[in-house]
Amino acid sequence: MSSYRRAATRRNIVLMIVASTLLLIWVFPLLWAVIVSLKSESEVLAYPPSVFFEPTGKNYADALFGDFSILSSLWTSTIVATATTVLTIVLAVPAAYAFARLRLPAKKTMGFYTLATQMVPPVGLVIPYFLILNKVGMLDSYEGMIIVYLTFSLPFAIWLMVSYMEDIPFEMEEAAFLDKASRLQTLWHIIIPQVRGGIAVTVIFVFLNAWNEFLFAVQLGGNNVRPVTVAMYNFVSVEQTLWAKLSAAALIAMLPVVVIGIIAQKQIVKGLTVGAVKGGGRR
Amino acid sequence: MAQGRVHLKGIYKRFGNFIALKHIDLDIQPVEFFALLGPSGSGKTTTLRMIAGLDTPDEGVIEVDGEDVTFAPPADRDIAMVFQNYALYPHMTVRDNIAFPLKMDKMPKAEIEPAVVRAAERVDIAHLLHRRPGQLSGGQQQRCALARAIVRQPKLFLLDEPLSNLDAQLRLQTRVELKKLQRALNVTAIYVTHDQEEAMTLADRMAVFLEGDILQVGTPDEVFNRPASIAVAAFIGSPPMNLLPATLDGDRLTVSGHSMTLPRAPQHPGGEVTMGVRPSHVRIDPQGLPTRLYLSENLGESALLNLYLGDELVKMRVASFNAGAEGETVPIAFDIDTIHLFESGSGRRIPLAGE
Ligand SMILES: Nc1ncnc2c1ncn2[C@@H]1O[C@H](COP(=O)(O)OP(=O)(O)OP(=O)(O)O)[C@@H](O)[C@H]1O
Ligand SMILES: [Mg+2]
Repeated sequence: MSSYRRAATRRNIVLMIVASTLLLIWVFPLLWAVIVSLKSESEVLAYPPSVFFEPTGKNYADALFGDFSILSSLWTSTIVATATTVLTIVLAVPAAYAFARLRLPAKKTMGFYTLATQMVPPVGLVIPYFLILNKVGMLDSYEGMIIVYLTFSLPFAIWLMVSYMEDIPFEMEEAAFLDKASRLQTLWHIIIPQVRGGIAVTVIFVFLNAWNEFLFAVQLGGNNVRPVTVAMYNFVSVEQTLWAKLSAAALIAMLPVVVIGIIAQKQIVKGLTVGAVKGGGRR
Repeated sequence: MAQGRVHLKGIYKRFGNFIALKHIDLDIQPVEFFALLGPSGSGKTTTLRMIAGLDTPDEGVIEVDGEDVTFAPPADRDIAMVFQNYALYPHMTVRDNIAFPLKMDKMPKAEIEPAVVRAAERVDIAHLLHRRPGQLSGGQQQRCALARAIVRQPKLFLLDEPLSNLDAQLRLQTRVELKKLQRALNVTAIYVTHDQEEAMTLADRMAVFLEGDILQVGTPDEVFNRPASIAVAAFIGSPPMNLLPATLDGDRLTVSGHSMTLPRAPQHPGGEVTMGVRPSHVRIDPQGLPTRLYLSENLGESALLNLYLGDELVKMRVASFNAGAEGETVPIAFDIDTIHLFESGSGRRIPLAGE
């Protein structure tokens, strides 16, 4: 065995240990939540924490069907996140195409504006948005919540899609124009099929963001529109915190995110690296 | 079927401060195979794009069959174009690529498939219809682009260096097929190339571009044998003709102290001129002008001698390679009846009697 190979093996082992340690730190809160969600409320508060306990599924049943059932808020979250995603894509794809291709006079300014909206700390916008929605009577309404989410997701989605569309060579569209396709036909038949990957990435990011959002949901929602991120807090009250049920609810709420994450792993990584390898293999 | 006449009148195009085309005039006849020849950056693609409607001129008018189409969108022009990089739709099969113009033209579905197959057969890719462009070789992609262009029977056929991505062998073969295809389709073809051999062999007529100007329009024969200016003479031929300073007095031409009588009288008052002679019209002559051998290049079938006549480099083509000693003296003479003359100042050709 050559010393080179031995060195390589040693390096791999070290890498492995470092990676596992980091991963463990990352995954620890999640593991903790899983453990807590399987304990009874009294066991959770035991100190030192009990290592051996009788796992119970009661917390999950309670979170879903108990007094503070999160079932209806799961549905609310689904509606809000899905509607936000669909609207975002429908509006962002043509907008991104315009940014990527048309000779718009204020293109630079609009591009900057788009990016700038991503840089404003959201917390600074909660009060203004609250006041606006209050004024137009859209507090605690689906429309209001979705519109507010769109103000964040649209610029982000446009910005992401533009980078995909700019990768498509101009001649491709010019060929389509000569083939007597209109702008919209070109967008539909030539551009969109080639940025399917980009659309998938955008869908995932927008959906996850909308699903995970808390700050605006808690301020602008209410009894009528209460996404699951907010509903979970019913398990937290002044007198006590129902840690086990809270953990169970949190894990249930996480489920779609994790499932999407696993299914779309490849797309997400690709979306994060788009631009770094411009044009690579997607022609 | 006299369709597909293209008339460019005073086309002027600027990109920012850069003038890409300086008042181009061209009249391309129906069913003609017309080449736009010129070095890189001379404005050939720009011209083609304006004919296609992908760009608009800053000044001037473009007419197709007498109709002003200067600002008409590409879709209204009934034009097919083969791009230099083919611009095939990567997400569609070859079949769908070829069918796309028909679909956009709202041809009934039942007629599309046979038309696609016919076009594919014409260019020999009928067996590849199920593939995607990414699964084709360069030559096959080129054929796919051709099929997509011919499937619709357009009024005009534009080709932007369609052979430049092919290897030398395939280029020669495709060149022939292209010409036959154009003849069979009976359609006007405008062909951009920087390869003069391609232009010479393919074109009925050609325009020689340089820096946004057209230097000459004519048949390959005219351009080769009667270049209109020093600029054309310096571009056409590989290598191009030798251009030497000379003095003209009646029909007496003096080069480097050596006088000769021209068989055909030049229509010029005389004085300082530029003489042009092709490397193959230079020969060794013991009584000729003494030159110094600088380098001999072996071209396979022939060889090229680089000679210095005083300070002027003269290239001479000889039948076989003979690596003469550098610095050796070679006496040369010019085939007097093949000499071209140009005005030294304007660079314009000086017509000889009978031209
Ligand atoms: N969109 C543009 N913006 C700015 N300059 C341009 C643009 N298109 C072309 N040019 C310039 O105009 C000139 C002519 O370009 P064109 O593409 O017509 O050249 P060409 O003769 O086709 O050359 P090649 O053989 O290299 O393709 C070039 O100098 C080019 O840089
Ligand atoms: Mg070009």
